Amino acid sequence: MNRLGTVVGFTFKNKVRTKSFVITTLLLALLMTIGIHVPFLIQLFTGGNDEGGDRIGLAASGEYTEIAQQIESYASGLPDSDVTFVRLDGTGDAAALKRQADDQDLAGYLEFEAGGEAGAFPAARYVSENGSIPANVQAVLQPALESAKTTFIAQDALSEAQIAQLMTPARLQASSYNEQTGASSGTGGASGGEDKLNPMNFITVYVLMTLFFFSAMLTGNMIASEVTSEKSSRVMEILITSVSPLTQMFGKVIGVFLVGLLQIAVFGATIAINLMLPYNRNVLSGFDLDFSQLPVDVLIYGLIFYILGYFLYALLYAAVGSIVSRTEDLGQAVTPLTMLSLAAFYIGIFSLSNPNSLLMKIASFVPFTSPTTMIARIGLGEIHLWEIAVSVVLLGAAIFFFGWLSAKIYRTGVLMYGKRPSFKELRKAMKAYKI
Amino acid sequence: MAERLVLRDVIKRYGDKTAVDRISLDVHEGEIYGLLGANGAGKTTTMRMVLGLIYPDDGSITYGGHAYGGDVQRDVGYLPEERGLYPKVKVSEQIVYLAKLRGMNGAEADKSLRYWLNKFDADEYYDKRIEELSKGNQQKMGFIAAVVHRPNILILDEAFSGLDPVNVELLKLAVKELREEGASILFSTHRMEHVEELCRSITILDRSKTVLQGDIREIKQRFPREQILLKTLSPVSGLESLPGVTGVEGDPEGYTIRIADESAALPVLTEAMRQSEVRHFEVKEPTLNQIFIRSVGERHE
Repeated sequence: MNRLGTVVGFTFKNKVRTKSFVITTLLLALLMTIGIHVPFLIQLFTGGNDEGGDRIGLAASGEYTEIAQQIESYASGLPDSDVTFVRLDGTGDAAALKRQADDQDLAGYLEFEAGGEAGAFPAARYVSENGSIPANVQAVLQPALESAKTTFIAQDALSEAQIAQLMTPARLQASSYNEQTGASSGTGGASGGEDKLNPMNFITVYVLMTLFFFSAMLTGNMIASEVTSEKSSRVMEILITSVSPLTQMFGKVIGVFLVGLLQIAVFGATIAINLMLPYNRNVLSGFDLDFSQLPVDVLIYGLIFYILGYFLYALLYAAVGSIVSRTEDLGQAVTPLTMLSLAAFYIGIFSLSNPNSLLMKIASFVPFTSPTTMIARIGLGEIHLWEIAVSVVLLGAAIFFFGWLSAKIYRTGVLMYGKRPSFKELRKAMKAYKI
Repeated sequence: MAERLVLRDVIKRYGDKTAVDRISLDVHEGEIYGLLGANGAGKTTTMRMVLGLIYPDDGSITYGGHAYGGDVQRDVGYLPEERGLYPKVKVSEQIVYLAKLRGMNGAEADKSLRYWLNKFDADEYYDKRIEELSKGNQQKMGFIAAVVHRPNILILDEAFSGLDPVNVELLKLAVKELREEGASILFSTHRMEHVEELCRSITILDRSKTVLQGDIREIKQRFPREQILLKTLSPVSGLESLPGVTGVEGDPEGYTIRIADESAALPVLTEAMRQSEVRHFEVKEPTLNQIFIRSVGERHE
């Protein structure tokens, strides 16, 4: 056990201090910081010239006064509209309107033109410096005009209440059978159906899957290249006479795992600090996300599957690394493993909207794909506790089996130099070495 | 002196090919044992079996009476032929690491490392990375890595190859020091003069079989003395016509005379004394080089 600690410590210390690790980690942390600031920066640049939002002129007179009123009242009824309206005089005189707009520092003005027939709703035109409508203005003007149009057409035929009804969109809701019958017991692991619609659940599952995919692949490659470089620098011959291959392999896997955890911790801290900044918090609340809704059970299960899945992949990466003699050949050798983790990732991602499909059910019991698909099922689908238990047991059994196999391959592989051996050669060598 | 490392009838096969065929040898405490053989004769396989990297198909290997195990692992030091250390890691860190893997604690390992660096006149490499060192110095570090934990059994595969004479002497001194302290050293090399200087017993392997084994002096006595070195004041002629003489080379500064057997030596001396003043006359014992070539080379014909 003591020697395992020594191997873990050495691996961790040397990996963390490499330039490539430090640079990648800092660079990614910087990119994350920038990424989180993007919404804030966009807001800063676009909304920069006036704090109170856009002021828009309404050039309406005569028969259009009522439409202008409708628009104003609609906009003022919106919860967080940043558009305010100012009435302008002198309809039709472009020069006069422009002068007024400039004087009052308006973003632009809206004018109306009579449509084809008499009594038809007029066409509206937004006139501004650059001749386009900004998205936030459009978002207010379009529905305001629709509303004004409805009132314009229907005001004689319908009552106020009817018009109001006409203008509210029809409602469509989703719920599960369990909710309908009121029976939510028997579903272990994940709590009731209301949580499932929570966007936080979706985000958690998505993040966990992506995290698993990237760390399985990146740390896996790290382990494989560590083993290969030890082999190619021939330090392996000394190592293997000092420590048992199993200790060596597990030490390496755990050491690199800790490196990966450190990296994730750095990223997590970066994100957390950035989100804590007061100005970013406002932007975040604009996305309607609430971290207090974070599904703890999904996170805990996610962690279990993450660690187990990591070990399964990492052990195999170590075995592959031991077969290859030169770092140049490594990329080709790890391709099957990369494919496997890609498959696990894509099955999970493409089934996010349909977590109860047969494919997902099968995949969530297959050790290589269960770390991603099981999280999706726990977080988004319906699952029984025993299913999770069976999947964990299967994953554990797979770790034992592939750990044993990897140790054998490792033991044989590290002594074989030259070209990458085929499975047949490897088996022959295993027999010859009596491993 | 007790036998520390004992191999009995060890056989190793790779498929249909027998890599090592019935090798037996004993290495005592405080002994350097030479394992010689042409390339591919089975030296490395034998060493790997001793190291527990591969298991013999038949026969036994014991270490001070015990079978291979975790304790043996800590007691063994190994300098592989293709030696290597981590290129990008500091000398101090990796050697202390390797010593810890062999069961030393950090402080002891550091002390031992400093002792050896000092011995090899290499104190300034303590904080250097391996890739910054010359090839010869890298080898010295490899040697230190093999002995830093004071092993009782030391396995040196081509320990001196590629070193300049000064460094060879340094390393020889170190090996002798370890022998004085009681280490059992299994030593393989192609340089016969090193074997003659260091080893008491040898085994010569050829194509996986033992062709010659035993004490070097006894082995030499088994081989006939077939060479005479003669130095005279003035040229000597007609030696080649004496009975038993098969060839004469050289000049008065040093004739090398090949003879069929030792009985031809005396007539040569008499004849030389008759013609000139003899300054040096020696019936040379066969060198290990000659013995090696005779026992291995002739089979290759």
